[in-house]
Amino acid sequence: MTCEEFATAGLDLGSAAHELPFEKAAREHLRECAHCAALQENWLRLREDLRALGAATAGAETPGRVEMRLRQEFLTKHRTMKFERSGMILGWSLAAAATLALAVTGANWYAQRNAKIAKAPTKVAKTSPEPGASAPDHGAVLLASNGSGDFALLPDSMPMPSEDTTVVRVEMQRAALGALGLTVNEEHAGDWIQVDLLVGDDGLPQAVRLSQASGESGN
Amino acid sequence: MQIESHERDDLLLRRSAKGDDSAFAELYRRHQGVLFRFAVRMTGSSWAAEEIVQDVFMTLVREPKKYDPSRGTLGAFLYGVARNRIMKHLERTPRDFSLDEASEAGREGHPQLREHMTPARWAELRERREQVRAAVLELPPEFRETVVLCELEEMSYDQAACALDCPIGTIRSRLHRGRALLLAKLEMLREVPKRANASRG
Repeated sequence: MTCEEFATAGLDLGSAAHELPFEKAAREHLRECAHCAALQENWLRLREDLRALGAATAGAETPGRVEMRLRQEFLTKHRTMKFERSGMILGWSLAAAATLALAVTGANWYAQRNAKIAKAPTKVAKTSPEPGASAPDHGAVLLASNGSGDFALLPDSMPMPSEDTTVVRVEMQRAALGALGLTVNEEHAGDWIQVDLLVGDDGLPQAVRLSQASGESGN
Repeated sequence: MQIESHERDDLLLRRSAKGDDSAFAELYRRHQGVLFRFAVRMTGSSWAAEEIVQDVFMTLVREPKKYDPSRGTLGAFLYGVARNRIMKHLERTPRDFSLDEASEAGREGHPQLREHMTPARWAELRERREQVRAAVLELPPEFRETVVLCELEEMSYDQAACALDCPIGTIRSRLHRGRALLLAKLEMLREVPKRANASRG
């Protein structure tokens, strides 16, 4: 073994880091080389000092204030996160509840309105779209049962409370629907149809419903 | 919530990330000691070490997902974070080192005056320890950390390689260089008073 080899790896003699042949060669070199023996002696003394230094600080621990500060930070962070999370959950819950309430209210209103329409008396009148034709003959009003179809709101009319409306059944040529703002198929414009009109207290029609018989013939 | 003493670090960290304060406290208690000692021995200042340990655990509080269990143990991860902080601290602070500061930092490191020890022997021991501390702190950081882990903390080469995330051969060569530098430094430190005494005589 050379001095260089000894200086590189031989200082740890006796530790488990080396294999037996290496240890043997290193000890032999120590006996022969005074320089390496002195180096080894210096190193052993230094190692003792290092170990003593290590042992002196072995019990050193972080001061308790650090743990306090960290736990405070931990709690603050997680409280904020919890607060944000519950805020988000609350927000979504409120939005969902509002949507549900709106849907239920709308459905109730719609059901009530339909029920009132069903109870209201239905009148039938005969009308003609031809020029010069007289206005709907209110004198020839007949009571009729309400059809099962839904009313379609006429363009530019606002829904009114159902207690202020009357359902009037009229017979007219399909072309007359054009006067109410509805589109009419020109091929069937001359057909006679029976429609239910929802007439407000101002006398103006607000919604229209094709009675079943005429609905089947198409518009 | 009950903490089992053998409960794995990564499980504790998961619980801590969900807001379990006691899991975080257990993790802190498990690792703060070694990190603090490593930082004190590397920086020579207990104030700096305190700040470094706080920074390391603050990372764990704020970004627990930075630790990936598939890449190693939590201990090694924390060592790595502490090492980065220490290197940053060493870059910021001046290289020259005052013995007074070291004494302040490691007051508990002074030898105890025992009955069989004469005051002269006690003073000599204390001086030697200060010289060793100063010599360690003057080593370049990469050699210093190897000496601190293998000689002061008495870690095996394997453990040191794991903590520093480098091959075992690197540990061996750094340790060899570190020891050589320490020996040279100490010889120099011990020669100066001898020469001074000789010139006075």
